[in-house]
Amino acid sequence: MSGGRLPMERRSAGGYVARYPLLALLDPRAPAVPLLLALSAGLAAWGGLVWAVGMPIWGATTVLLAAALPVGVRKWRADLAVWGPATTVLGVLVVLQGFHSLEHVVQWVQYHVLYQPPSQSSGLISAANVEWVHFVWNWIVVTLLVGLARGGVRNRWSWLLLAWAGAHAAEHTYMMVRYLQMKQELAGLGVPSISAQGLPGFFGRDGWLARGPVTQNTFLCRIPVATTTSRLDVHFWWNTGEILLLAAAAHVHLRRQFRSG
Amino acid sequence: MGDLDDDGDLDLAMGGLAGDDSILWNEGGLHFRRQPLVGGGSRAVIVADVDGDGGLDVLFARHTLPPQLHRNLGGGRFGKLSLPGFELKAYSLALGDPDGDGDLDAVGGSYDAGLEKDLGYNFMFTHSGGGVMYYERTDAGEYVGRRLAEGAEALALLLTDLDNDGAPELLTGNDFGLPDYAHTWRDGDWAAYSPFRHTSHSTMSLDSGDVDNDGVLEVYSTDMKPIARDVATLARWRPVMVRTPVDTFRGDKQIMENVLQVRTRGGAYANAAYDRVVDATGWSWSGKFGDLDSDGLLDLYVVNGMIAADLFGHLPGGELVEANQAMKNAGDGDFRRAPEWGLGSLSSGRAMSMADLDNDGDLDVVVNNLEQPAEIFENRLCGGVGLQVELRQPDTRNTRALGSTVRLHTDKGVLTREVRASSGYLSGDAARLHFGLPKGAVVERVEILWPDGKGSSVARPQTGGVLVVRR
Repeated sequence: MSGGRLPMERRSAGGYVARYPLLALLDPRAPAVPLLLALSAGLAAWGGLVWAVGMPIWGATTVLLAAALPVGVRKWRADLAVWGPATTVLGVLVVLQGFHSLEHVVQWVQYHVLYQPPSQSSGLISAANVEWVHFVWNWIVVTLLVGLARGGVRNRWSWLLLAWAGAHAAEHTYMMVRYLQMKQELAGLGVPSISAQGLPGFFGRDGWLARGPVTQNTFLCRIPVATTTSRLDVHFWWNTGEILLLAAAAHVHLRRQFRSG
Repeated sequence: MGDLDDDGDLDLAMGGLAGDDSILWNEGGLHFRRQPLVGGGSRAVIVADVDGDGGLDVLFARHTLPPQLHRNLGGGRFGKLSLPGFELKAYSLALGDPDGDGDLDAVGGSYDAGLEKDLGYNFMFTHSGGGVMYYERTDAGEYVGRRLAEGAEALALLLTDLDNDGAPELLTGNDFGLPDYAHTWRDGDWAAYSPFRHTSHSTMSLDSGDVDNDGVLEVYSTDMKPIARDVATLARWRPVMVRTPVDTFRGDKQIMENVLQVRTRGGAYANAAYDRVVDATGWSWSGKFGDLDSDGLLDLYVVNGMIAADLFGHLPGGELVEANQAMKNAGDGDFRRAPEWGLGSLSSGRAMSMADLDNDGDLDVVVNNLEQPAEIFENRLCGGVGLQVELRQPDTRNTRALGSTVRLHTDKGVLTREVRASSGYLSGDAARLHFGLPKGAVVERVEILWPDGKGSSVARPQTGGVLVVRR
């Protein structure tokens, strides 16, 4: 599929675009074969950087993302002409949140399948700094969602998504505060080089809900999953919920956009 | 702990890691007279009638050497002996009579990482090697060994009857990532089995007790996990946690937490430590059950702390200082921290035992600390009425009936205790059992299941003293 406007028949009520508008939003707007070749080459380069050059996974992933950026920019510029700014931003968000969810899937595999310790189950780019990466990204998501709402992306799923993402970002803020406090404590102990990352958050095993002074001796500290699962799993589910809600919100928004012509 | 001079007071035997071992003779009123025993470098200490002559002896595990018996010669004199045939360089020890033949057999567990450090790899190729050995005592007094595990990091051994069949189970608590072992006595021999879905990762201590008075014993193991989740506490642990990440593997049952094994209705065990908030007691060593407030419910006490410059060089003196943790059994399945009991010592505790040292009917606590003086905590909780029970089978060589189960039947439930020589981390247990009684409870009878499986009972014993039951 080439760039520019989507053919009219695909936008028609009977076309797949009308039925699955999210697929149209994700259309890379580049010829399939060269795109697949580029993707394969990128993955090979990623592997080479990691295993042959010894670059950390987060570094190689960053290089790969940087290399893919022009393709994305080209697509999103074309999207802008077709869909308008709000829907284009929605498309960008879907792609990037999709990658973020992939990050959590990789972490999940590292922890549950490869049996790596939690501190080493850091996904593709989180090893750079798991606290900053997720704190910054989640607040970007909230900011974009607020902007999308102001731009007209408003439906029951988008509001639910905003609440979900806000709560998620709030937990990352709590973890960021604890991370910075921990850094300060470690510096005070003379070991500033020790990683302060990975402390439990609000939810999960040993989190605030499970072990905070306010919740002790109440049912709150015993809520299954919310007080028992690992931080890694907690955030896997945060992001799974987020991508599903985002997909639902985008689907409803795009269908409305099609219907309104 | 044990009444070494038969004067009615429980005396103490203390192992010295850096100095001599010693006996602390109980002279009443919580006054003790120290008698050094030449030796040292000891690990586990057990007071028991090892030779079956009626007097309590003291057995010391010595880590790089086979255990040494200080045979009680009477008059405060002890003769040093080895246990013939017991060649394992045991770190932890347990004594019992699993085969019910009337004498005390022994179990030893090695600490292979320590042996390797102190002796080099060669120890693995010696005749004794490492691992877990069961030594059956013969009529001639020889110990005939059988290896139950090839390797071990055994900080704790526990003989306890988990399935109420009258025969013991043997639990081995291994340090590091080596999974704990479990064996059950079946058809006259030990058989390995796997009763638990989860175990502590670096098991430091094992104890069992009937915390809910349902007649089935729960098992408590300790591990290393920060007591509190505030940043200041976590920061003191952080360098160790970051530098030594825990490796896991497919099917790994180990979690780096204290574990409370509770038998479910289906017969399987589930870990209830996290739900009951007894999963984290610091860098824990001995953790034991005892009815400290004499209310008929077993409480928990865990001693903790670590001194190691290579691990805690970022802390003053290379020491992780933590308060020992006392936890009151609330009776609803939960334990509540009880700092008001005054047991929150900041010394680096290792071995710990509970018994009535001043004969006032409640449990006092003795803690052997590392690099600091030992501590005795007199119980001033002014709890309820209690009853203590001692068993004697003078016609056997297991004169203190180790391995027996005693059930105290009251109008408010049944309390269960086992007669054991050791539990926790390298800690002895007095063969004098303590029962606190629920408020207003009337004792109906004491029921005894002896090590050979036979039973007897005593109707309406008088409370408040020591009931000695002779067979």
